[in-house]
Amino acid sequence: MKRALWVSALLLVTLIGPAFAHHSPAAFDRTKKVTLVGTVKEFRWQNPHTWIEVEVPDEKGTLVVWGVELTSPTYLIRAGWKSNIIKPGDKVTVVVNPVRSGEPSGIFVSMTLPDGRELLERPARLGTPDAK
Amino acid sequence: MMRGVTIRAAAAVVAVNLAAAACSTAWSQKTEAAYTPTAAEVAAEKAGTLSALAPANLAKPRPAPPFDVTGNWFIDVSQDPKAWHFFLPPYPKLTAAAQKEFDASKKYDAEGKVYKDDIGQCWPAGLPLIMTRYWPMAMVQKPTAIYMISGFMNSVRIVYLDGRKHSEPDVIVRTYNGESIGQWQGNELIVDTIGFRGDHHWMDQDGAAVPAGEKLHIVERFRIVNDGKQLEVDYTMIDPDNWEGEWKSTKRFNRVVDADIQEVSCLPDLNQHLQSTTSKTQVFQ
Repeated sequence: MKRALWVSALLLVTLIGPAFAHHSPAAFDRTKKVTLVGTVKEFRWQNPHTWIEVEVPDEKGTLVVWGVELTSPTYLIRAGWKSNIIKPGDKVTVVVNPVRSGEPSGIFVSMTLPDGRELLERPARLGTPDAK
Repeated sequence: MMRGVTIRAAAAVVAVNLAAAACSTAWSQKTEAAYTPTAAEVAAEKAGTLSALAPANLAKPRPAPPFDVTGNWFIDVSQDPKAWHFFLPPYPKLTAAAQKEFDASKKYDAEGKVYKDDIGQCWPAGLPLIMTRYWPMAMVQKPTAIYMISGFMNSVRIVYLDGRKHSEPDVIVRTYNGESIGQWQGNELIVDTIGFRGDHHWMDQDGAAVPAGEKLHIVERFRIVNDGKQLEVDYTMIDPDNWEGEWKSTKRFNRVVDADIQEVSCLPDLNQHLQSTTSKTQVFQ
């Protein structure tokens, strides 16, 4: 539990800025987390952003499509992702930092797969000099 | 008698072979060292249009450069997590027009909104921001030019080293990365860039929107430091339409040895699936 928290904190620090994005990350509220329990509608493995669309029932049971933004596959691969790790119809739990406007959109924090595995985005090793 | 003749003959043969070998080596050295330009290259040289990748241009004798920037580089954020931004102290004094944009971006940022994120709408980042985007930058150095391809939207930047001058003002094609001419000076590469587009072009974003205009003029001093592991670039930037005097900044980039750039494009349907870019957080007026 402590290690997971440490990793989450490191992720937050590393990804709080650019996160290999093409757009400003300021749209997201990094102080909030929303947990989406739903079904994968579509998963796109691509640059500059991988994305997942998840159908999540709202409080009335109406399905809402949430857009989840991730980083480049270059870095997801290093965290154990594959291009076929999820597919439409899979039940997933995804944690996101939501967009500030309250619309169903967020930036990825973590995902729990149907088999219980938890996936993160790997913090980039780039941006720091080689240790001597 | 026969034996004596044979030895003399053998010696003669050896001497002839040695002489032939010496001539052959000298000839091949001469032909390898001197490149004969084609008629097309001669014409291009005369017209001032000889390509940086034309064999005749590459073959010109030039002093060996003090360093080679060939490699993948990534902005160093280990000393300052905000180093990928440009609007950091010391701050230039903004003109009224630029201050208006800056103040608007700060206001909207405080409200949790994003002001004029043109890059997020697939406009090029342009110089200087393309250098510090949080993506690797591939650089390939030839004697005549340095080709830079950013991992970010595969933006291309070319620094010409072959002695050409900037294009004349009445023919220059304005771009987001500008037109760069480089000159070696001691242990540094001095790069002079002009010819920028002044629309949808920003010096920074995220609550620090400072416009970049057509009068933007950037001088970079490149050097390799830290035993070849880092590239350090001093920026001196002027744009009288947007700030007073010189805006200076130094950026360090780390050599990346475990990743390559890939094809990264701002495809027409990209933002349809990245809803934050079209959400109510975005302000464009």
